[in-house]
Amino acid sequence: MAEPTHEPQAKADEAQAEADETQAKPNEAQAEADEPRVGVYVCYCGGNISDVVDVEAVAAEAAKLPGVVTAKTNMFMCSDPGQQVIADDIAELGVNRVVVASCAPSLHQTTFQGVLERSGLNPYLYENANIREQVSWTHHDRAEATKKASALVSAAVAKASRLEPLEPVEIPAAPAVAVVGGGVAGLRAATDLAKAGLAVTLIEKELTLGGTVARLDNLFPYSEPAEDVLCRLCEEALADPRITVHTGTVVESVEGYVGAFTLHLEQQARGRTVEATPDADSREITSLDWRCEAFRGYGPGEAFADEPVAADDAARALSVPVGAIVAATGFDLYVPPEGEYGYGRLPQVITLLDFIEWLSKQPEGSVPTFNGQPVRAVGFIHCVGSRQVEGVHEPGPNGRINEHCSRVCCTATLHCACDLRDKFPDVVAYEFYQDIRAYGRGHEEHYDRASLANVIFLQYDGAQPPKVVAGEGDDHPVLVSCLDGLTWGEEVEVGVDLLVLAVGMVAADVGNLATSLKLPVSADGFLQEVHPKLRPVEQAVNGVLLAGTCQAPKDVTESCASASAAAAKAYGLLASGEVKLDPYVAHVDPELCEGHAACVEECPVDRAIAMEDYPDGSRKAMVNPAICTGCGACVAVCPTQAIDLSGWTLEAYEAMVDALLLSHSEVSAL
Amino acid sequence: MHPAPEQTEPPILVLATSSCAYIAADAVGQAHLEHPANTYVMRVPAPVVFPDSFYYDCFEKGFAGIIVMSCGHECPYPGAFERLTKRIDRVKMGLKERGLDPARLRLTAVCTVCTKAYLKEINAMDALVRAAASAAAVTADGGDAT
Repeated sequence: MAEPTHEPQAKADEAQAEADETQAKPNEAQAEADEPRVGVYVCYCGGNISDVVDVEAVAAEAAKLPGVVTAKTNMFMCSDPGQQVIADDIAELGVNRVVVASCAPSLHQTTFQGVLERSGLNPYLYENANIREQVSWTHHDRAEATKKASALVSAAVAKASRLEPLEPVEIPAAPAVAVVGGGVAGLRAATDLAKAGLAVTLIEKELTLGGTVARLDNLFPYSEPAEDVLCRLCEEALADPRITVHTGTVVESVEGYVGAFTLHLEQQARGRTVEATPDADSREITSLDWRCEAFRGYGPGEAFADEPVAADDAARALSVPVGAIVAATGFDLYVPPEGEYGYGRLPQVITLLDFIEWLSKQPEGSVPTFNGQPVRAVGFIHCVGSRQVEGVHEPGPNGRINEHCSRVCCTATLHCACDLRDKFPDVVAYEFYQDIRAYGRGHEEHYDRASLANVIFLQYDGAQPPKVVAGEGDDHPVLVSCLDGLTWGEEVEVGVDLLVLAVGMVAADVGNLATSLKLPVSADGFLQEVHPKLRPVEQAVNGVLLAGTCQAPKDVTESCASASAAAAKAYGLLASGEVKLDPYVAHVDPELCEGHAACVEECPVDRAIAMEDYPDGSRKAMVNPAICTGCGACVAVCPTQAIDLSGWTLEAYEAMVDALLLSHSEVSAL
Repeated sequence: MHPAPEQTEPPILVLATSSCAYIAADAVGQAHLEHPANTYVMRVPAPVVFPDSFYYDCFEKGFAGIIVMSCGHECPYPGAFERLTKRIDRVKMGLKERGLDPARLRLTAVCTVCTKAYLKEINAMDALVRAAASAAAVTADGGDAT
């Protein structure tokens, strides 16, 4: 049964080879020169379309459209025989624009563009009519569906007739990447990139590497020591001759574009640099002393803050040329305002990070103490600074409340409560929570573990958070009360010796990196990806990739995963030595441009469009295709319609509107 | 070959962004969620590409309603959504000056999985343009449109 499938494929391969050798350039040149000769191919999709849409009628109507030289149907256009029909028509009928009426373009646009390319046509001379998702799967009346399918095909033909051959924008790319942020995500990305063969500049604003993870004791879900994970990552990064590390260094500004960014850095006194060299043996990082300065095993980077500056230390400016940038700038922990749950007023109210450090320092087998007082009961409040409610919580310094869930604090808090009970079984632990969101692999087990360890849970409503007061004359210095949802709203008050606030993750100030490149941020302030599923680690600014918690709250596992994804994307971008960008960017017709510069004023991207002097003394707009994002804002404001979007021209849209309305009005045509 | 629709329904143009709303429209199809067939989706990178005149022309040519389904504040093109909102506000005022109901032009944000929002917008606009068409028909027949 395999032979019938393989034989056409073999023929297609042969045809492809022949086309590559003999036909590619003539056909492509011809497409530019000739009048549009549109081929329309309507797919049955094995009944998915034809059960509702009369595809033969659609093809018959399409054949009458101006510029259409052939209109055919096929059971599966995406199959090898289906593709061969198109290839044959390109070769035999001189078809130079192709419309396939089938499923969504996300599924087979590249398939059909590949047919054009193999047949010597420019792949951008292809247009799709989506008559499955948008017709046969959403409309059940055969007449209505057929009419709509014909209208969509006529619009696609109108657009295809106006398509011009396009070439990807190709830019020489430096085989080097800047990773901004030396926390766990930055280290992961840097080592992955270096292993792929790219030169990496790792930039850390603190004096030591490791970020927030350097302040943790052990990591959920499997409780491996944070120090072990970080040591391994740091040693890998510091031992790789392709990685240059700058600590105590911030990004002052960035200029350029994908393939050719230049980062201007400012390194403070006491900041350290280890230059990458081709000879690993000459690298100084083998010196244990230096490694200890770059990364002090376990502890916050601020440890250096009070050390004197050596005489030969001085701040200095650096410039680093790279092809891509990985943002791994991490997050900030929410800082409760004074008085929130007693924070800043009651010394026994601390954050989860403070608690982790405190617990790690308590000797096992003794009664734990805080400020010299024995600790017999500890309360944990979840969602502090996360999932805030309008009207209940005060906006922060940025003028907004934090509506987002920080995701990791539920499991982190459960993990800490379990660690507390394991180490000090006589200490009572209370958890005040809204919902337990232990979402990841191995996370729910900590909820079970906490329940088995007799951690006491009290559920509060986000609109009525727990109240905290000083326990005057009480057995405990802090009293926490809430309306407990687990006991149907009963008001419960407990006394604790230590109250731990599970503070959330908030967006860090990315500083000049974000402002220089105008990086988009989401409503919660974190750097925003182009698309959460289709382009999850790419920024709208080409060549900028996202790793770790600069994008959203993540745990260490997720941060490392996104860092590796960002590294892979950066490698894919730069590996060939040149960057190929979609050609869907603005272009100017100098004949029409009268130099109004409205496009320059309207363009939201710096330097994407500039006014250039022409030899005749005039000034006309010129687009930098490497910087233009292709939004089209300029198109709408040009008084002479001199600027347009390649592949998505305004004229094509207007023709599509006309075609849709004409088909729609032809009630009795079918 | 098969019975044709008996009359033309007032057509609605949906300008759907490639990154968000167009994917939602496909998701509606994948879920086989039926909705009025008088809606025509045009895929656009960002609707900010269309000048004011494009909308006026669409209405003049025969579209009864236009829904601009953008990515909202999650627009992948920095600054484009802000410019779009200003333009749509301006066009709505222009429609009013032209004696057209500004509600026939709707700007909304539809994410890739917003199938319910997509259907809600489509159905609401369909109800609006059908009511307007009925009222116009009554007026044309000499009846009282109110």
